[in-house]
Amino acid sequence: MSSFNDSMKKISSNPVYVKWFKDAWPYITGAVLLSLFQIVTLTTTGNPWGMTGPLATWGAWVYELFGGSVDKWYFFASDNMQTTLKNGFFADGGSVRNLGIVLGAFIATLFASQFKIKKIKSMKQVIAAVLGGLLMGYGSRIAYGCNIGALYSGIASLSVSGWVFGIFLFAGAVVGSKLLVKFFM
Amino acid sequence: MKEVMLDCLGEACPIPIVKSQNKMKELAVGDLLIVQIDHSCAMKNVPDWARGEGYNVEVEEVGDGEWEVIIEKTK
Repeated sequence: MSSFNDSMKKISSNPVYVKWFKDAWPYITGAVLLSLFQIVTLTTTGNPWGMTGPLATWGAWVYELFGGSVDKWYFFASDNMQTTLKNGFFADGGSVRNLGIVLGAFIATLFASQFKIKKIKSMKQVIAAVLGGLLMGYGSRIAYGCNIGALYSGIASLSVSGWVFGIFLFAGAVVGSKLLVKFFM
Repeated sequence: MKEVMLDCLGEACPIPIVKSQNKMKELAVGDLLIVQIDHSCAMKNVPDWARGEGYNVEVEEVGDGEWEVIIEKTK
C-alpha cells in the first residue's frame, strides 16, 4: 500500500503515466491510429484528410480582415470555396480539425510537461524558417496538397498522384537538406 | 577522455543530428558528447542514430522540454 501511495505522489515515475503521457508512442501505434482516423474522416466528411487547404483559407480571411478581396483569385473562385469563405471558421470542418490538431498537440505536450518556448537563435534561423515556410506553403498550393492531402491521402485513395508526389517530395527533401547544411548551419 | 558540450537548443530537425554527426567525427574513442536539445523529435532521432552506430547512449531530461543526450564514442 505504501509503495502505491509513493508512486501516486510522484506521478513522474508512475508507469502508466510514463507509458501513456510521457514517452513518445511507438511509430507503429501512430501509424495505426492515423490510418483509422483518416478512414473515419473520409467516411464521415466525404473528403480525404487534408491540412494546408484550410491554411490557405485562413490566409484569405486574414487578407479580408485588412480589406483585401480574393474573389477574383483563381484558387478561391469556385462556388465551393466562396461558400467556405463566407460561412466562416467554425462552419469549415478542415479549419476546426486543424485547430484541434494544434490544441491536441499542445495538451499532449503539457501532459508530458515538455512545453517550452524556444529561443530564436540567430537571424539566419529566422530567414531559414520564413523561407522554408513560404516555399512549403507555395509548393503545397501549386501541388494542391501537402504531405497529408497529396501524399498520405493520395496514396490511401489508391491514387497514382500520391506516389508521384512522394517521389518529388523525397527529391525535394534531399535538395532542401543539402541547402540547409550548406547555407544555414 | 574529455566531455564535449554541443548546444543545439532552439534548433529544429535535422540540425541537431547533423551537428552531432559532424562533432562526433572530431572526437576520440572514449570521449563523451553531450548534446543539448529542446526539440522532441531530435530527442528520438539523435539517440536512434547513435545507438545504430553502436555508441553508448543515455538521455536525461534536464528541464521541461529540455534534454541532454549523452553519447559515448565507443569505437
